[in-house]
Amino acid sequence: MKKRILAIVLSTVMALSMVACGSADKAATTEPAATEEAPAAEAAAEEAPAAEAAGEAYHFEVIVKSFQSTYWQAAVQGIEQACAELGVTANSNGPANESDIADQVQMIDNAIEQKPDGIGLAACDTNSVLDSLAKALEAGIPVVCFDTGVADAPEGSVYATVATDNTAAGACAAENMFPVIEEVVKAATADAPVRIGEVNQDATALNIQQRGLGFINKMIELCTAAGKSVAVVGNEFYVNACDNAGDEATAEVIIEVGVPAQTTVDLAATEANKIMSKDDTIAIFGSNQTTAEGVITANATLNKLSTDPATGIVAAGFDAGTPQKAAINAGQLIGSVTQSPLIMGYKCIYKLVDICDVKEVSDIPMYGYWYNAENMDAADIAPNLYD
Amino acid sequence: MGEVILTMKGIDKSFPGVHALDHVDLEVRKGEVLALMGENGAGKSTLMKVLTGIYKKDSGTITYEGKEVEFKNTREAQDAGVVIVHQELNMLGHLTVAQNLFIGREFKKGITIDDKKMNEEAKKLFEKLNVDIDPTEKMSNLTVGKQQMCEIAKAVSFDAKVIIFDEPSAALTEAEIEEMFKIIRDLKKKDIAMVYISHRMDEIKVITDRVTVMRDGTYVGTLITKDCTKEDIINMMVGRVIYEDPKTHSAVPADAPVVLKVENLNAGKMVQNVSFELHKGEILGFSGLMGAGRTETARALFGADPKESGDIYINGEKVTINSPEDAVKYGIGYLSEDRKRYGIVVQKTVAENTTMACLYNFMKGIFIDKKKEEKVAQDYVDALATKTPGVDQLVVNLSGGNQQKVVIAKWLARNCDILIFDEPTRGIDVGAKNEIYKLMNKLAAEGKSIIMISSEMTEILRMSDRIVIMCEGKKTGEIDIAEATQENIMNLATREIN
Amino acid sequence: MAKKKPFGKLNGREAMVVGIIILMIILFSLLSPTFRTYSTFVSVLDMAYYIALMAIGVTFPLITGGVDLSIGTGLICYSLFGGYLIVHKDMPVVVALLACMVLSIIIGTLNGFLIAFMELPPFLATLCTCMITRGLGSLLSGGFGVSWPSALEEAGWFRKIFRFTSANGRVIPIGIVVVVVLVLLMNFILNHTKVGRYTIAIGSNKEATRLSGVNVKFYHVFAYVISGFFAGLAAIAYSATYVTIYPGSGAGFELDAIGGAIVGGVSASGGVGTIVGAFLGVIVITLMKVGLPFIGLQANWQQIFTGLVLIGAVLIDVVKKKK
Repeated sequence: MKKRILAIVLSTVMALSMVACGSADKAATTEPAATEEAPAAEAAAEEAPAAEAAGEAYHFEVIVKSFQSTYWQAAVQGIEQACAELGVTANSNGPANESDIADQVQMIDNAIEQKPDGIGLAACDTNSVLDSLAKALEAGIPVVCFDTGVADAPEGSVYATVATDNTAAGACAAENMFPVIEEVVKAATADAPVRIGEVNQDATALNIQQRGLGFINKMIELCTAAGKSVAVVGNEFYVNACDNAGDEATAEVIIEVGVPAQTTVDLAATEANKIMSKDDTIAIFGSNQTTAEGVITANATLNKLSTDPATGIVAAGFDAGTPQKAAINAGQLIGSVTQSPLIMGYKCIYKLVDICDVKEVSDIPMYGYWYNAENMDAADIAPNLYD
Repeated sequence: MGEVILTMKGIDKSFPGVHALDHVDLEVRKGEVLALMGENGAGKSTLMKVLTGIYKKDSGTITYEGKEVEFKNTREAQDAGVVIVHQELNMLGHLTVAQNLFIGREFKKGITIDDKKMNEEAKKLFEKLNVDIDPTEKMSNLTVGKQQMCEIAKAVSFDAKVIIFDEPSAALTEAEIEEMFKIIRDLKKKDIAMVYISHRMDEIKVITDRVTVMRDGTYVGTLITKDCTKEDIINMMVGRVIYEDPKTHSAVPADAPVVLKVENLNAGKMVQNVSFELHKGEILGFSGLMGAGRTETARALFGADPKESGDIYINGEKVTINSPEDAVKYGIGYLSEDRKRYGIVVQKTVAENTTMACLYNFMKGIFIDKKKEEKVAQDYVDALATKTPGVDQLVVNLSGGNQQKVVIAKWLARNCDILIFDEPTRGIDVGAKNEIYKLMNKLAAEGKSIIMISSEMTEILRMSDRIVIMCEGKKTGEIDIAEATQENIMNLATREIN
Repeated sequence: MAKKKPFGKLNGREAMVVGIIILMIILFSLLSPTFRTYSTFVSVLDMAYYIALMAIGVTFPLITGGVDLSIGTGLICYSLFGGYLIVHKDMPVVVALLACMVLSIIIGTLNGFLIAFMELPPFLATLCTCMITRGLGSLLSGGFGVSWPSALEEAGWFRKIFRFTSANGRVIPIGIVVVVVLVLLMNFILNHTKVGRYTIAIGSNKEATRLSGVNVKFYHVFAYVISGFFAGLAAIAYSATYVTIYPGSGAGFELDAIGGAIVGGVSASGGVGTIVGAFLGVIVITLMKVGLPFIGLQANWQQIFTGLVLIGAVLIDVVKKKK
């Protein structure tokens, strides 16, 4: 029994790191860390959790960005799983909405008041939490950031970060999309350019920014390598922040970035609709669950999505959820990039326990994993595809 | 009599479609009270608004203290010493008396307001006027009369040389009016000129020195008050003799059945143990001073306000009335003294207001039969001679008298046999009044029973078959019209009961 | 004096809004070739459904002189609850739809009760229920977003009420028929039934209406029940149009609906307004939401423009009143 679970976890981690599209050497460094911990966890769950926790029942406060999407449901699931395995307790909390920044700060401060053994944090806004992190440092409460790193955190407050490398995750979508549309891109001319769309939920959250730019920059790189000139148009932030915005008039490939006025599903759908309505659009990428579903919603009207660029628009999504999975099965999306919220939540607790047990800890970069109709039911992918 | 302080000559003002003022003259002297009289719409208020700069005149001259002036706004007029005391009180209830008096010109101490100095100044002011008001009291805690005093005090505090009173007594009790007159006499001694706009003949006789009468936007003439009679003034106002002699005997047969009997009605301080009977075809007058509890009695009877106890019998049968809905069910209709607030639904048409109380008669399934509604409304417009371009006219566009007729139509359409008229002719001009009176007499002759609450003695004496007199929430007497005189009614209305 | 118009004909304000709609369509079409497509037309309608349904409902409280701020978060709350029943409790879609409506009527009744009987100001009462429904939505769905069955599934049949895909792949926005029928029905109810008559009367002069022997409290509550009921219908339209419903969202939807109603001539101070006007106003709002991105206007500017249009609409009323 023990061996079987160990084998599954091992193979999961290995498989994931193979599918993951970060640079190969980075993936290699992560692998040992992951393999080290996960089996131990499983073993602990099977045998004696109390012994592992050395008789001490640690209590952690975990603050997620919100409970809005099933993404966080998966994260909380991972947290609960780890707690059960290690015999510790964690209290998960989060604001109603990812944009309720002030609420989250209040929650962190309240959590510090509780004097837990550690805090797990997925920050809504990386700047707003700095004061709170300083307070935690003062109170001697270790913090592990997961999902989103806090780059400017006060020295010593954040012990470890378990976060997706969003730039790499965005690039992952571009890398998997490009081969499908390669022929059409190569056939593009300045007189008859092709358009690749991207819908980003906003232009303010760091992870969305990185993801959006990761896709854009990788796509520019791939198209340029194919001998095509590229221009980026649309939302000012992404146009200004990308590697090379180019010149729309002479470009053979145009990357158009849409950002809705509010982060509601109807406006996300409108942005997708706007880009997909254009005759020269060959592909579109929705960079999170809301915008990927916006693409699906828009297609209900347009009926243009296809896995073959010759017959329609090729689309890729991000994150999981029932609608995206159904769309992939129906051939509307060629695939999607998922993060592993479950593992991030899970590892966050492990890191916290390690810190309490005074073990050496280090950051764990997580990658985006490409999944499509072929591999989404595979044992290594399926657990990360929350509904 | 003092020298002339203010002269308005040949003042002309037109609004689109209306020639509101047609070369009107006015002259006010120091230390006098000039009554400005005229029917509603005669142009009194417009003239005063031209004077204080709210309206710009088209032509004419205003001479004030020997110089030609044209105030751009009330503020400028105030600073020059021309101040209006409005009919509707412009007081802020949540602020104190002193804060109200000095609003917009507060005393400052550095950047903070010097409340102490304001209170002292207010106190001095009140002492000067011989009124007893605590400057630190919240305005909303004062009686309407005291609030009126504050308005006057405020006007005086502007160092006013001309004070215009726009129907100042409308909401005051007899005692409060008397107190106000004392102040006015004081101000006269200080050589302040006053213009007094009022419809109350009795007051005009008591307090004013001269009467200037306007009609239809024109100047009619000026009389010396003590040398003229009420009839003289009314004749100038309406241009025709309208005064009708009082009723001398009841028009109701002695054996007329009792349609409404009220026993020991109690509702707060204003309605204490009120009992009375109303006969078929009778007009029962309710007389008394302001605040005697007549309106409150009517509202409690109608279910508009909650009542504590009391029995009501309709046609001999005891009934429970807890809401206007119940009252209407028993055939009682109430015509409020304040039509705009309680009587009509202004944004609705004549037809819609007419059917408001009996919509169930106009339903076809769940839908309203608008054709039938319009036909019935038209019938009432014809029957009551309501002046309206059509039944689809919004009532807000009708004159006061015609609005009143629409309210009457509403209750007639509901087939109400008992009608409570609360101040039926308030705010209605003299010509239209007569029509309302005729209508009420006609309704009574047709067998409707009417309770008429009125503060006008002439109205009470002219219309009632019997008179109930109230004072401070209690019924103090009941007089048959044959025995009623102004004196015995006033006697009962002011009598104290212990 | 809008009352004299024969049924089905537009009054002055409505005609003006139609003019604005035509102008906007011309303008957007000139500025964006992709706007002129059938699919854009469909997507404008897609977005209009739920806002229009909310606007139909909220017009009743608005006409009584009140407001209903709870419809936006309410919509999400009802939708989450229905979705939760399907996804997590395996209930048939019909049950979920009914649950939506029942919950919406309960919240509407609560609003009406607080306002008519407890005499809370409508702004406050519905602000409270706005917060309550926001929290309740998270609670009923366990705090997580839910996805109603998609059109690809058998259980997704309810989506066809609003968007029917014909055999040859053509999308037919039949939702517009549903909404227009409801608009005409409610317009008729507002002008030709007791409920409508008294709703306007309450907004015009509540006390005079009460003194006419009308059971004012009942009709006052009813206005909010209608508002709640239509928020429930809007929840169904929203669930049918979009993919995943997220708790915590929905605040702000009511402003689109109220804004639309006001653009369409419904007076914010009560007594005046038509359902047809409110619906046309919603089309203006929706055209802005969909059209402005199409002409390349970026996010922030879209909101500024929408605000300016609202100011313009309210100013027309103010200027008219002054005359």
